[in-house]
Amino acid sequence: MKKRILVPLLVLSTHFLVITGIILGAGRINDEAPAQKIEKFTGVLERDITLRVLENDTALRQGYFEELLNAFNEEYGQYGIRAVDANMDQYLDLENDGPFGFGPDVLYQANDRIMRYALGRHVQPLPIEQLDCYPHIEEKAWDAYKITIDGQDFYLGAPVNIQGPLLFYRKSLLPDPDVLESWNALYKFSLERRENGEFGYMKSLIDAYYSLGFLFSYGGYLYGDNNTDMEDIGLAMGDAERGANVLLKLASVMDERCVDFTITQISYSQFASGNFFATMTTPDVFTLFVDELMAVGYSREEALAEIGIADVPKLPLSGDLTEENPELIPARLMGGVNGFAISSYTNYPNAALAFVDFATSYEMVMLRNEMLGIVPARKDAAENVGELAQTINNNLKEGNIVVMPSLMGQVWTPAETFFTDLANDPFRKIADQKFTTPKSRIDALQKLSDQIYDAIHTLR
Amino acid sequence: MVLLLKNCNAKTIASMLVMGAGQLLYRQWIKGIIYLGVQAAAIIFFISQGALMIRDFITLGTVEGNAWHGTPGDNSVTMLITGLFAIIVLIIYFSLYITNIKDVYETQRLAESGKKIPGFFEELKELSDKKFYKTVLFIPILGVLIFSVLPIVFMILVAFTNFGGETVPPALVDWTGFESFRRVFSLGSFAATFLKILGWNILWAILATAFGYFGGLGLALLFNKKCVKGKAFWRAFPILAFAVPGFISLIGFRFMFAAGGPINQMIVNGGGDVVLFLGLNSTWLSRGIGLLVNTWLTLPTSMLLATGILANMNKDVFEAAGIDGAGPAKQFVSLTLPFVLFATTPVLITNFMLNFNNFGIFFFLRGGFISEGYFLASDTDLLINWLYRLSIDNNYYSLGAVISLVIFLITSIISLDVYLRSDAYKKEDIYR
Repeated sequence: MKKRILVPLLVLSTHFLVITGIILGAGRINDEAPAQKIEKFTGVLERDITLRVLENDTALRQGYFEELLNAFNEEYGQYGIRAVDANMDQYLDLENDGPFGFGPDVLYQANDRIMRYALGRHVQPLPIEQLDCYPHIEEKAWDAYKITIDGQDFYLGAPVNIQGPLLFYRKSLLPDPDVLESWNALYKFSLERRENGEFGYMKSLIDAYYSLGFLFSYGGYLYGDNNTDMEDIGLAMGDAERGANVLLKLASVMDERCVDFTITQISYSQFASGNFFATMTTPDVFTLFVDELMAVGYSREEALAEIGIADVPKLPLSGDLTEENPELIPARLMGGVNGFAISSYTNYPNAALAFVDFATSYEMVMLRNEMLGIVPARKDAAENVGELAQTINNNLKEGNIVVMPSLMGQVWTPAETFFTDLANDPFRKIADQKFTTPKSRIDALQKLSDQIYDAIHTLR
Repeated sequence: MVLLLKNCNAKTIASMLVMGAGQLLYRQWIKGIIYLGVQAAAIIFFISQGALMIRDFITLGTVEGNAWHGTPGDNSVTMLITGLFAIIVLIIYFSLYITNIKDVYETQRLAESGKKIPGFFEELKELSDKKFYKTVLFIPILGVLIFSVLPIVFMILVAFTNFGGETVPPALVDWTGFESFRRVFSLGSFAATFLKILGWNILWAILATAFGYFGGLGLALLFNKKCVKGKAFWRAFPILAFAVPGFISLIGFRFMFAAGGPINQMIVNGGGDVVLFLGLNSTWLSRGIGLLVNTWLTLPTSMLLATGILANMNKDVFEAAGIDGAGPAKQFVSLTLPFVLFATTPVLITNFMLNFNNFGIFFFLRGGFISEGYFLASDTDLLINWLYRLSIDNNYYSLGAVISLVIFLITSIISLDVYLRSDAYKKEDIYR
């Protein structure tokens, strides 16, 4: 009987061994030789190809992107190169889509988004010296796209426009130009308007993009070593607590709506109705102010004439907005540099580089400014579009625009929590107020820094 | 199986070595060729790709790519998925291999007993007749395997790697055993946050389910009363609330309870101070509002369900109970509730699971905060919200997978336990 079982058992084992042998044996025969490095920018244009370009939604809506594509195709059609809309969401997922051939060849994004791809090498370093715009752009703008690996600098994008906060105000409500010179004057004017049941400066203080700048202005910083050392979180450093004190005072001339995003949502309509005198935002939303003024009966020309745009007011060195004749320091606020980058997964790097060169040329940047109201990163263009563009360029050059680093995912929630708590304080009963002393503000800022540090490092 | 090994003949043994060989020897040509084809396809698959997929599954890659230089490397996550696929193919192959042996042994027994061996088309006919359930269930089971089991297994596997943070492709991911579990359960603030959220999550799931369920039942009973006039009109209101997409309602409620919202405006106009209903320090107020809003959203379904069930209740039973002296409360506890509970236990369990994993309620209602004593979480976050923050905002995929696994285990164990203890399972025939 044992022999009867032995034969099928032997056959079953043989079958099992054969399958195991195949899996083990065939699993070893794939050790391919490592692939050779490829030099991508050879200077030879790829012919008869279609470039997929990703632009931002505003450029699409306002018709600038179509103008850009038409102009490029007209010039490069002779080489069989055709640029088209990549037709995908502007918040693309290049790290997952790119390797499988689904991403765009060229992309227009803010520096923090482009630099997010740096670590995974999903966007290609550019030979920036070959670009026409290279000598016309400030080093600080190029630095927004710089990554240093093994001591060598790589630039992953070509700057087009600088994003920096500006003060938007109603010209007809401005009693005196001095109101725009310092936060102390603006605070005082806001107090006066509150007495009449209206508001002066209004902003959602929970919005960390803007509020962090008040800490930067007094020596606080996000990451050490020019926002590159993530071991060093310095939001409590220097006199950053003074910046927190400024925000406390600003909250007190607003109302409880500053603790959430309510003001951000209603600021355009309230600005148009005259209930708000001023707010701070970036130039790319200029058209929203115009639209709201037109909605309340202004003609386009009247609306354009009514909207005042000024550089962000200077801050008191003491951090006390009630101080008379304070010593003033410039505000250092968060900003960014938007530009073009090339996907590392493009099959047409040379044609893509030609597109970037074309899109960052003087003519196209001027057209972009004309149609979208952007602040050009090119100095030659900025000089020709007005004083404000030069001011913003200068702010970047002087370090008064702190370029947003790529690692912000772990910053927003802790920062918004802190600013919510801070902005709440003036609306608490006096006995319950948390941020009345410099020490309490320093402790809270240190806690914020610790939370960001924990979010980045604890689980790594 | 032992019986099979003892009694198998040479033809059956042939199928043990080469799939379909026995069937061919019994002149079952088409079936034999199909089995043979399966084995050939499996061998070709494993030689050409499958074996490499399994090897890559074990190593998760050895060459890191560099897109700047155009040098493609190994994608650990793809390798994890394809390796899993190859293992599933291997399992399917062995299942078919066993089926092949059982099939030829069955044929052997038919031949030995002198019965007619069915042809291929006769067997096919049987699949559309006596074994029709197998034919019908094949596609759903395949669907469940691909769309439910595969992602769950993938998630479980991710929990045993260091996938996340900076370790995302093109960087190579490694197997790290129980390291992610160790971190979740032992790392100071992380473990404390986990326990706090878990406690609140369980309380939330119980309360939210109870509020929605009994609120709906209460309304159904109310609308069932003879004294209520215009029942259809009153029933329309909760249905209208149900018809509005949940997240739209949540955003509406968020606006209503905001610092500058209409409720606060009324309070201020009435001479009161602004109440930060959903503020940073409003833990229990926010939780209470969450419960209220969730009841508003879930109550209509329970009400409709209970209305249908109540319509099927035998009125004579209540009449008899009334004659025996049972008051309305006694009738509700002893007659109505058991009847409704019996019919709705599976729905109750589903509601519990949905509430346990109710991502939207506090996400849309309160937004993102970090509360005192919590690690990257707020005091109203449920495990699913925390999982989202860890996985999406902070890229801690492997830790997120551990939490997913815990959620999966908790909801499965509680649901199974409740169902197995319920009358709906134990006394299936009682109300038939």
